[in-house]
Amino acid sequence: MGTAKISGVRLAGVASALPRAVQTVAEAFPVFGEAATQKISESTGVRQRHVVPPGVCTSDLCLAAAERLLEELNWARDSVDGLIFVSQTPDYILPATSCSLHGRLGLSKHCAAFDLNLGCSGYVYGLWIGCQLVQSGAARRVLLLVGDTISRIVSPQDRSVALLFGDAGTATAMEKDDTAPPLAFSLGTDGTGQGHLMVPAGGFRQPHSAATCHRTARDDSNIRSDEDLYMNGAEIFTFALREVPPLFKSVLSTAGCSLEDLDVVVMHQANRFMLEYLAKRMRLAPEKVVVALENRGNTSSASIPLAMTDMLADRLKTGSLRMILAGFGVGFSWGAAALTCGPMVMPELVLVEAPAGVSVGKEDS
Amino acid sequence: MTRKEFLGLLEEIVEEDPGTLTGAEKLKEQVAGWNSLAVVSFIALVDEHFGITLSPKVIADCKTVNDLIGLLNGKVTD
Repeated sequence: MGTAKISGVRLAGVASALPRAVQTVAEAFPVFGEAATQKISESTGVRQRHVVPPGVCTSDLCLAAAERLLEELNWARDSVDGLIFVSQTPDYILPATSCSLHGRLGLSKHCAAFDLNLGCSGYVYGLWIGCQLVQSGAARRVLLLVGDTISRIVSPQDRSVALLFGDAGTATAMEKDDTAPPLAFSLGTDGTGQGHLMVPAGGFRQPHSAATCHRTARDDSNIRSDEDLYMNGAEIFTFALREVPPLFKSVLSTAGCSLEDLDVVVMHQANRFMLEYLAKRMRLAPEKVVVALENRGNTSSASIPLAMTDMLADRLKTGSLRMILAGFGVGFSWGAAALTCGPMVMPELVLVEAPAGVSVGKEDS
Repeated sequence: MTRKEFLGLLEEIVEEDPGTLTGAEKLKEQVAGWNSLAVVSFIALVDEHFGITLSPKVIADCKTVNDLIGLLNGKVTD
């Protein structure tokens, strides 16, 4: 797989934002039955998820995270010369949401901004590209905005996905620092897996029609439309067994270190069963493996930085951690970074309110 | 691993009482707990105990519990 070692750049901070409203496991009892719902919740490790109300997009969550991060970093707006937006739930087909965010953030015209359409692997790819922009001198300060609102593309009657996904938006700051320890990356792709995690219709391959948005019962006795997310859990699990152990081996070899040298491993928070099995398979010490999805769900591209905010903020604010970050899934696409991070700015989690006049469900307490 | 041990592990996955599975059971029709979560647990079980990564397709082609045992290349002994 493609590997790289990148020097001269440091992560300056990570911030995360969630919509305030939550959905709990109990709310699905009427749909799937209490026993079935509890079983799914036990396997996935998800008891609660934050979900956007109508009118709130990924960009709004990322904006809130970015504003907080820029404030605590005390970065002048015009010092940011790179803006990357990673998401599979953009505001528009066009223009790129990064351009829209550029305007909303009030950044300078000298800033390069573009979108990256990846999910589970998106954060690592975003770091890989952002760090290269800084290393090469193409940019001095990069804002990487990563998030998704998968709740908006999921059928509430599809038990394979309805209880799993939460929404989140994050912001990560990268800047030039010649004293920073190098970051190692390893990335790969297997496009033959495209069909196992996909929204089949609504793009240009199979355009939107009255038929494509009509929800019907499928073979797996779930009800969804072709404009809803389809996920084959068993295929994704075997994909992860196949590619993640070699991915870890590759990034450790590129970094020139071993598992024992690591303080923390943050994998994409797909579901608890898979995280725990992969940890067991790769013989990772359980206390080093971050499992953070109980009250967040699977937040797609945002899951790694959100887990950092939720679980590692105190340690990263005051000291440094040797970490592996590993994202793998939709595409199939995968990537891992081995890096030493911190001390850095880690703002408190931001909760984003619904727009005025929009009713929400249960509020997080 | 013996057949009895294998059936015991499968019983845990599909939430049947120990000792109830004989092997003749039809998965879809007669094993209530054989759902998508069970398939994933089964893939993990086989990976952990036999070092084999089964594809979901070959598992879907299995009609009975005995067919599942048949996937394991004789590594389950009587």
